[in-house]
Amino acid sequence: MRIVIAEDLVLLREGMVRLLTETGHDVVAAVGTAAALLDAVDEHRPDLSVIDVRLPPGFRDEGLRAALRIRAADPDAKVLIVSQYVERAYAADLLADGRGGVGYLLKDRVTALDDFLDAVDRVAAGGTAMDPEVVRQLFARSRDHGLDALTAREREVLGLMAQGLSNSAICAALVLAPVSVEKHITNIFAKLDLPPAADAHRRVRAVLTYLNAA
Amino acid sequence: MIKRTARALAYLVTGPVAGLAGFLWSVVAGVLVTVLAVTQLGGPVFLGAAWVTRRLAAVERRRAGWVLGAPIASPYVPVGGSPRERVGAVAGQPATWRDLAWLFVLLPVGVVTGVAGLVIAVVDLASIAAPAWAWAVPNPNAPFPMKQLLTTVPGRFGLTVAGLALLPVAAWLLRTIAAGPARLAAALLGPGEHRRLVERAARLAETRRRVVDAQAAELRRIERDLHDGAQARIVAAGMTLALASRKLRAAASSAAASSASAGSALASVGAGPAEINISDFPEIARQASADLHDSAATSARTARPGVGGGQLGARAGVGGGQLGARAGVGGGQSGARAGVGGGQSGARAGVGGGQLGARAGVGDGQSGARPGVAGSQLDARADVELARRQLDEALAELRRLVRGIHPPILTDRGLHAALAALAGDSPFPVGLHGDPDARYPAAVESAAYFVVAEGLTNAAKHAGATRGTITLDRVADLVRVTVTDDGRGGADPDGAGLLGLRRRVEALDGTLTVSSPPGGPTVLRAELPCTS
Repeated sequence: MRIVIAEDLVLLREGMVRLLTETGHDVVAAVGTAAALLDAVDEHRPDLSVIDVRLPPGFRDEGLRAALRIRAADPDAKVLIVSQYVERAYAADLLADGRGGVGYLLKDRVTALDDFLDAVDRVAAGGTAMDPEVVRQLFARSRDHGLDALTAREREVLGLMAQGLSNSAICAALVLAPVSVEKHITNIFAKLDLPPAADAHRRVRAVLTYLNAA
Repeated sequence: MIKRTARALAYLVTGPVAGLAGFLWSVVAGVLVTVLAVTQLGGPVFLGAAWVTRRLAAVERRRAGWVLGAPIASPYVPVGGSPRERVGAVAGQPATWRDLAWLFVLLPVGVVTGVAGLVIAVVDLASIAAPAWAWAVPNPNAPFPMKQLLTTVPGRFGLTVAGLALLPVAAWLLRTIAAGPARLAAALLGPGEHRRLVERAARLAETRRRVVDAQAAELRRIERDLHDGAQARIVAAGMTLALASRKLRAAASSAAASSASAGSALASVGAGPAEINISDFPEIARQASADLHDSAATSARTARPGVGGGQLGARAGVGGGQLGARAGVGGGQSGARAGVGGGQSGARAGVGGGQLGARAGVGDGQSGARPGVAGSQLDARADVELARRQLDEALAELRRLVRGIHPPILTDRGLHAALAALAGDSPFPVGLHGDPDARYPAAVESAAYFVVAEGLTNAAKHAGATRGTITLDRVADLVRVTVTDDGRGGADPDGAGLLGLRRRVEALDGTLTVSSPPGGPTVLRAELPCTS
């Protein structure tokens, strides 16, 4: 997979390049600023961009803004945001268009290599990858979002779904039969009023429902 | 000397004129302002009269300064705002009334000193000029000394000598007499205690603002340092560990494969781990050799030869990591800067531990204890995993710490977004009202943020609130943030949390008010001055 990395700290940039290269990916560009990122994406058209939220010159949320610009310019572009802290507002910005191909992970998760690579694959394939911490924040105030209607098991499933896991991954994680996972998910969609006809990204929409309810 | 005397004389002579003008003006202005005070014109007329009075006072100040040889500073405190506010501000300044008092006093003082000065000057000059005029006023009936002085030529020249002799005395008298009203003018028209206090207060406010700004900048710097320094290093170490763990796993599977097959299995097993040791842990090895002079290092070294020793080494190393991670976290809590150092050394110690564990395991492989290879590698792998999890915990702790110092989203997106995040994190629904785009000084934003954070935390923890509201608005130079909840109230305004908030708000010259009657609702309001 061809990847562009945007990270201003050399130590981390080199670390990520090494990590992705050694796991068989092709890092076509590793840059340190948002402007360079936009140029690199324009030039290389990567399968995925891994972007730090904070980038020079302002060290605010330049990376996130650049990611949104990339997505606006090319709806098929896939971006994975990595940050040292999670803000639900950022996750909401990323998911706002209701399409997949986005991810938001704490940098800590990079060190859980398999999870990270899994997230990279998922986002590149058009899915989502939300950090468990983001999901935890969502569920921290679940009382008032109609989540009461969900059973404990359904919540568990929704939590994993919100992180971006596929049905089979959820089966594995919860040691459930595929049929029962599907049943749970159908129930969740029904309780959250997400009709089956909507589109392929009902899973994203389910997460979005909570993000926007805040 | 002659110049100063001439100035004093000029000052004294013009005194009665100035006094008359001042008196007339103050009477006219007083009547005008009094009469018009009841009409709409009262304010503007008062301001106009004050303006004229100030011009007159300025002339007086210059005149007196001329005599005193040093200019008298202007005492007025600048005023602004609406006409009504300006009337209040001008009327409230003692300088306005002192000007008026001087204009009143100037007439009697000016007349008395003016006449005295004039008499002194005329008498002395006349006596010097006696030969020129005394013959014109022959007075045979004058008493003893005057008759001789005025009617005889020697007497007239005697008068001239006496006049010349008294000239310095007359000059001194003139200067002294002129100095009296000039000093009075300086006392009344110069900057008084009020102005000095106002200036001092302004200076203090300025220095405090600088201190507060410097503190806010320092907090942001610490946050950035933690973010770019300690956190980044821990993440980098975690990445290296992740790669190490992956390679250990690959090596273990190849070792298992080679031990299953016959032949040169031993050699390949030996080569595999040796490669890991040298090429896969360059950072780790460097850091470890630099940092690990503790018991973990010693025990690992002594434990190297044996299989059990390898495991011991691994444990000791990881123990070091745990210790390091904890030290980092503890240091971070006890002080931000200590946290940076502690976090870094913690991360290094942790990495060193992982490395020692791995190397100890590899040593077993090389010593040829084939059955032990897979086992100790497995052990090392578990320890590397453990070290990685410990690093994750250290990171989570560091994140909490950073959030407590200065929430990153406050820097990134400003107060409104940060409050929205707080509202979102609250376990009960919280409404937020305010201008999403407004930005305020960093110190104000951070104080307002922590007021809201504390308010919402208290509402959730102690008041059992089910609904809350945050209002953020700006009234003139005041940023006002209000947190309301429908909880059971009864918050203690002198409790540790609220007291800390109050200090923080008061450091910015703001006020924090808490209204929390038993049964609720609780209203927490901070008003923070914000010039810009």
